[in-house]
Amino acid sequence: MVLAYPSQRVAYPYFVVALFLFILQVIVGIWLASSYAFTMPQGLVDILPFSTTRAIHTNLLVLWLLLGFMGSTYFMVPEETERDLFSPTLAYVQLALLVGTGVAALTGFVFGWTKGRPLLEIPHPLDYLVVGGALIFLLNIGMTMLRARRWTVTQGSLLGGLVFLAVMYLFNLPFYANLSIDWYYWWWVIHLWVEGAWELVAAALTAWILMKITGVPRETVEKWLYVELGLFLFTGIAGTGHHYYWLGAPKYWLWVGGFFSALEPVPIILMLVDAWHYIQNRRGQLNGRLVFTFATGMAILHLVGAGFWGFAHTLPPINYYTHGSQVTVAHGHIAFFGAYVLLNLMFFYYAMPKLKGLASYDERRGTLAFWWLSLAMLGMTLAFSVAGVLQTYVERVMGLGYMTAQAQMRFWFTILAVLGLTLLAGVVLTVVDLLTLRPAPPAKASA
Amino acid sequence: MSAKAAKWIFYLGTLISLVLFLGLTVDTHRQIKTLTHTDKLSEQVVAGKRVWQKYNCNDCHTILGFGSYYAPDMTKVYWRRGSEGIKAVVRTPERFTTWRKMPHLGLTDLELQDLVAFLQWVSEIDTQDWPPQDQKLRAAAGRAVALGVSPGATLFQEKGCFACHRLYGTGGMLGPELTHVGSRRTYETIERILTDPRSVNPQATMPTPPLSHEERDELGRFLAGMK
Ligand code: HEC
Ligand code: HEC
Ligand code: HEM
Ligand code: HEM
Ligand SMILES: [Fe+2]
Repeated sequence: MVLAYPSQRVAYPYFVVALFLFILQVIVGIWLASSYAFTMPQGLVDILPFSTTRAIHTNLLVLWLLLGFMGSTYFMVPEETERDLFSPTLAYVQLALLVGTGVAALTGFVFGWTKGRPLLEIPHPLDYLVVGGALIFLLNIGMTMLRARRWTVTQGSLLGGLVFLAVMYLFNLPFYANLSIDWYYWWWVIHLWVEGAWELVAAALTAWILMKITGVPRETVEKWLYVELGLFLFTGIAGTGHHYYWLGAPKYWLWVGGFFSALEPVPIILMLVDAWHYIQNRRGQLNGRLVFTFATGMAILHLVGAGFWGFAHTLPPINYYTHGSQVTVAHGHIAFFGAYVLLNLMFFYYAMPKLKGLASYDERRGTLAFWWLSLAMLGMTLAFSVAGVLQTYVERVMGLGYMTAQAQMRFWFTILAVLGLTLLAGVVLTVVDLLTLRPAPPAKASA
Repeated sequence: MSAKAAKWIFYLGTLISLVLFLGLTVDTHRQIKTLTHTDKLSEQVVAGKRVWQKYNCNDCHTILGFGSYYAPDMTKVYWRRGSEGIKAVVRTPERFTTWRKMPHLGLTDLELQDLVAFLQWVSEIDTQDWPPQDQKLRAAAGRAVALGVSPGATLFQEKGCFACHRLYGTGGMLGPELTHVGSRRTYETIERILTDPRSVNPQATMPTPPLSHEERDELGRFLAGMK
């Protein structure tokens, strides 16, 4: 038997649902790109406007990434605490509750039921159900750890990140009368998630996987984990200021936000160096390379998307011209993909074979899927970026007006739609592969 | 590096950043009152914000540069369109939008009134001169508002003249700026241009606009008055 603890099995339905939602999210993305590239008839726009489909695209993204994190946590915690989950039943209840809420929210969007705040559209009272689901999750994980009393830094970082994540969501609940204050706290959710809480979760899950697959001693990994977490929080918390330049807040945010966020790539570089170092110094015999491929690819594209594309527009003199343009979208896509989509897929490729009782599996399709996805996403990022630079120049520097700039950018959205179709094929390949993993073919004589 | 040093980096790094961030948050709350004119944040403005959220305008349009990037930023739309202009677009988007469509959202007149109050309040937030493309309107902000209410100006918007011409720096680049057209063209010439652009300049590339006799007269008087 390959599973160390039977309760790890609850991760499986989380992964399956997440993968299914991933496909849907990308299909809707292609619809969005087409709405940019082509003229949709007025009658259709009246029934299913871009705003609705965009809310669906982004909520699906956040929902499946979070379900993936939760499944991964349920898989990791028993092994890390060396005891079964507090309550597998509660884990299934939580999944049903969150998926039910998600379906209700997405259906509601289509009928105009929305809070009307980008990325956080889920209306009252559904967002209280989200909080309920999060509480069940934290209770289940927390109780497991508490009962086991086998504390590790990796565990602490994971739990800390998850609590941080849940607490920040609370800032989404009130109605803010002042638009500037509204956006001020909107970023407490969005920025402090992706550049704070989620980074802690990512660092913990990555450290754990690397320990497992490289056999590098825990003391080394956890020491550097402390440094990474410290640098993430040092740069990330005050770095929130890079969203406060133009929203009606005092001028000092230009300095504080610019300074701290410019340092945000440092912990990401450290993560890449660490991962590289551990993989080079791995011990013992390995079963397969694919998880390494994903781990390395993630570390590199995390740096490219969050580090390079983030740094490119984080300094105020540049952000003045790029703020709220397609440059932002380019960064949003490659950062989410490099950091969190690949993180989830890496974990799935580590855990899925074990959940299916396979000691080793055929990696050929998975390897193809990794390259396919990554290259398609890099292509999309370049298309968004070219559009973004055109927009910045035509609309903002030359001052020729929004639609004049969009006319110049149309070609690149057509390219984007095609690249999106390519990406979709890669996503389908990944999902099919993960759901139908096969034992590795018998080794060739030379191997 | 020792494990102890690593822990210190974690605790100190987090604490310094957190204290700085929370401290500045308190100060921001203090200063934001002036920066956003909270004295003008009336109940009507708040009602307008609820309308803005109810119809999810923000998942097509950015505001303060945040939201979706599918449609023009709304931070200074009050400068560009004025209250009547905004209402006209939301009531009948098909008359103002070009190859990218905005839906009929069916706002009531009361909702429109609140929405405009909200967008006017937003246009006065001190955004450190963002967005760059609207800064040239700052001086003309008052006049653009006046533009929205005159029948000639409304025709100018409705008939798509903005697609090629600019007034006070806003609009398309295919044709000349018309802000001071009244000082180089008489009412009669303008009317002839609007009847058939090639009657004045045989090389003209401007398409003959689809106007009734009354509309031509209204537009002609409006433009002749732009001195
Ligand atoms: C489905 C997307 C969508 C939604 C939702 C939407 N709009 Fe628009 N809106 C557009 C597009 C696209 C344009 C520009 C089209 C063009 O110029 O060809 C536009 C243009 C406008 C303009 C003119 C902008 C300018 O710069 O002169 C105003 C004003 C406006 N919208 C207000 C609103 C308000 C208020 C709401 C919510 C009640 C709203 N819109 C909801 C897509 C949308
Ligand atoms: C497709 C682009 C286009 C549209 C739409 C358009 N124009 Fe023009 N217009 C031009 C061009 C280009 C010129 C310069 C002369 C020429 O080449 O025709 C011009 C010239 C003019 C002039 C003469 C300006 C001068 O200084 O001599 C006036 C007045 C004018 N347009 C009014 C209008 C009005 C009013 C409308 C809306 C009903 C309109 N135009 C719509 C392209 C356009
Ligand atoms: C994995 C980590 C990250 C993710 C997933 C991410 C994602 C995003 C997303 C989705 C947005 C757009 C939000 C919106 O307005 O709708 C955004 C904005 C932004 N990000 Fe990141 N980001 C990450 C890390 C970083 C880093 C490390 C930096 C800086 C070095 C950075 C700099 C910025 C800036 C400056 C903006 C604002 C763009 C604007 O003004 O419009 N990001 N990010
Ligand atoms: C792994 C895959 C994907 C991820 C992680 C992702 C992520 C995101 C995010 C974070 C946003 C919000 C953008 C922001 O606020 O900056 C967004 C919006 C968008 N996405 Fe995706 N997306 C993916 C796939 C796709 C695909 C395949 C397409 C189309 C080809 C696409 C097209 C769009 C478009 C057009 C928007 C709207 C931008 C706007 O607001 O105007 N996405 N996506
Ligand atoms: Fe950020």
